[in-house]
Amino acid sequence: MLAQLSFRERNLALCAAGLVMLVGLLVTAVGWQDLIAVHGVIAALYTAGIIALLLKHRKAPAPSPERLKEYYDDPTKIGILLCLVWGVFGMAVGDWIAWLMAYPDATFDAAWASFGRIRPVHTTGVIFGFGGNALIATSLHVVQRTSRARLPDQFSPWFVLLGYNLFCLLAVIGYPLGITQSKEYAEPEWYLDIWLVIVWVAYLVLYLRTLARRQEPHIYVANWYYLAFILVVAVLHTVNNLAVPIAVGSTKSYSLFSGVQDAMTQWWYGHNAVAFFLTAGFLGMLYYYLPKCAGRPIYSYRMSIISFWGITFMYMWAGSHHLHYTALPQWVQTLGVGFSVMLIVPSWGSAANALLTLNGAWHRVRDDATLRFMMVAAVFYGLSTFEGSFMAIRPVNSLSHYTDWTVGHVHSGALGWVAFIVFGSIYSLVPWLYKCKGMYSKYLVEIHFWLALSGTLIYLISLWNAGITQGLMWRTYNESGELTYSFLDSMIAMKPYYIARGIGGFLFLTGACLALLNVVMTIKQASRESSRSDASTRAAAVDLPVAGAPQS
Amino acid sequence: MIIKTHYRIEKNSIALVLAIILVSGIGGLFEIAPLFSIDETVESAPDMRVYTPLELAGRNIYMREGCYACHSQMVRTLKDDVDRYGPYSLAAESQYDHPMLWGSKRTGPDLARLGEKYSDHWHTMHLNNPRDVVPESIMPAYRWLLRTPLDTQDLSLHLNAMRRVGVPYDDAMISNATQDALAQATPELSTSKALMERYGEETNVRVFDGKADTVTEMDALVAYLQILGRLTALPYQESSSTQ
Amino acid sequence: MEFGFLVYLSKSWGLFYLLALFIAVLVYALRPANKKRFDEAANSIFDDQDKPCR
Repeated sequence: MLAQLSFRERNLALCAAGLVMLVGLLVTAVGWQDLIAVHGVIAALYTAGIIALLLKHRKAPAPSPERLKEYYDDPTKIGILLCLVWGVFGMAVGDWIAWLMAYPDATFDAAWASFGRIRPVHTTGVIFGFGGNALIATSLHVVQRTSRARLPDQFSPWFVLLGYNLFCLLAVIGYPLGITQSKEYAEPEWYLDIWLVIVWVAYLVLYLRTLARRQEPHIYVANWYYLAFILVVAVLHTVNNLAVPIAVGSTKSYSLFSGVQDAMTQWWYGHNAVAFFLTAGFLGMLYYYLPKCAGRPIYSYRMSIISFWGITFMYMWAGSHHLHYTALPQWVQTLGVGFSVMLIVPSWGSAANALLTLNGAWHRVRDDATLRFMMVAAVFYGLSTFEGSFMAIRPVNSLSHYTDWTVGHVHSGALGWVAFIVFGSIYSLVPWLYKCKGMYSKYLVEIHFWLALSGTLIYLISLWNAGITQGLMWRTYNESGELTYSFLDSMIAMKPYYIARGIGGFLFLTGACLALLNVVMTIKQASRESSRSDASTRAAAVDLPVAGAPQS
Repeated sequence: MIIKTHYRIEKNSIALVLAIILVSGIGGLFEIAPLFSIDETVESAPDMRVYTPLELAGRNIYMREGCYACHSQMVRTLKDDVDRYGPYSLAAESQYDHPMLWGSKRTGPDLARLGEKYSDHWHTMHLNNPRDVVPESIMPAYRWLLRTPLDTQDLSLHLNAMRRVGVPYDDAMISNATQDALAQATPELSTSKALMERYGEETNVRVFDGKADTVTEMDALVAYLQILGRLTALPYQESSSTQ
Repeated sequence: MEFGFLVYLSKSWGLFYLLALFIAVLVYALRPANKKRFDEAANSIFDDQDKPCR
């Protein structure tokens, strides 16, 4: 794989890895009394591994110029594997902490294993590890196909992918040690935030350079969504993480904003992370892989454009619905409700567009679990956006907020929409990438589908019940005008639901393990077949390019 | 010709980038920017005091352990919230909270009005193993807090960073941060008088964790929990004036 | 940035901005002249897959 890099790119990679290693060692030296040294050492080891690989292949012969006439899919291939490994890891931790809520002593009495420290391991693992790698891997695949252009170079996609995974790795190792800035879904401390900005800018530049190489003047709509994801996440991340570190050699920082301003900034970030990380990017995935897999063009291209601008405009206003009845000024809350409700229109536009695309191919949805994954994703997208708008209305929110209903809602989006579209896309993408007829086992895909669906439903139904029960118990008064239930009563009532949630999560996790297994076996099978077939058949299997050598 | 098409194509993607920024940027700007410019957002609370170094250290432990994942610090303006927890939270109360810890989930109860509701002893027992005091509790046991001495060495740096983001710590507070932290949990020290002078007579100076010989992380966390909702009397005055 | 000024801005120009944006998107998406381009784009993903042009 590394032999595909030109000599110049190999040297560039060595320099970049060396530089990061140097920074890691420097950080270790400056902050050797602080926990930051742990991060420094890990960063140094990580880059040392990359350098060792590069040095091993440094003397490999120069790659053939023929490679430039094909798409560059190696980063996508690795990205998919990383995505699934992070997925299994993040979901396993998620299920563990789900069981902690029923059996709180399952922590080995270790500080690192307590609920509060490993919850961000779960959220970062699944959102950034699983979701983020899926987005990077598929976006690089989609942008090349829709632009009909190869990535402009072979260094920057690796920088983006490996740099991003370094960020995730350091973040996830940091939380159990107690390194966190405590902002939900933005827990990594200041120096990791800076590193992510660097990686993210490289990602944006890579994406724009690839788009600039395209031949068609029109940019396919999937790229719009991916681009909005990259751009807006950059802005959100930067603004929300503004902080003053106590010293250069220390992990600790204090956020620039405080109190009500910080709350609004945090939930402006939090809600738009949902909008642009967990929605826009995955809609990009949907708008490419769903029509492609169904063999039918998107039902209404126009509707996809209208939805795009609707989502891009309106989501930004909706964050304040996380702060109803709080010390946030009322006008900001009202604004949030208005836009949250209006968001149904573009959201359902996309969901309907996806389902109407499948109209006429229902027999394929019935027979093909891959397509069924995508269909269920579209349904859950419609359901959870409706639920979200509903929960943003103040009276509903007064019941649902702070309860497990919110957690259920998030997972209806995260499991039902995000994970389903990721699995659907991966199951259609992997056979294309490895040029084989299909996944190693169609049967496993089928089992995975039913495990994932039943897991999601058990999870959601138990938490809907839990949340509504909690919300009602908290506000029940007896005849003499006193609160009927103590907080403890409501907590005890949760136990059966928490156990059911743990079971649902376990089913979903099992499905994810099967996906990883299936993908690994597909890759193994493909490489065995390609090594078995002789050179002539291999030449036939590889599509020949139409145009001459690229000019960059 | 090729250059011209190329130019046009690049212009398209840049136009798309600009359009996305323009369209998405408006929402954040109009929603967040005014919060920084109006005085009405945060009521004035003249008696509001800053966290002592020990309480700040405790707050950092609260964040490190992820307490905010299960406990909110925000009493909403709803009747049942106020009846259950106490006067609703005001913006002024978290004006020195960098970052705020309003929270988003109540797996456990709200903590905004926790201060002085339970004894130090209860908190120490409860944090050490919640099921010793509340058999049905599902809170994790934080046994290591009692056996870990508090790191007070770099507290001056913490206070200094807080000042740089706008919290009114003065020079004396910053330079004496370590000494003040130790003094707050060790009442017999002569320095505790100086601490009271800096942070006010109301400051809790006592052995929080029941272990007089060392200042532990438990001391810091309990000191922080006991000050929750007690930094200003404003919310209590407001609720009595409206009733 | 004054609070009152921002409120004025959002109530007047903000409304026009919102409407203008909405109309602009509708015009762009529904203009008959663009139909051909969009149909082509929707079908473009079925063009030869494994052949980059550059």
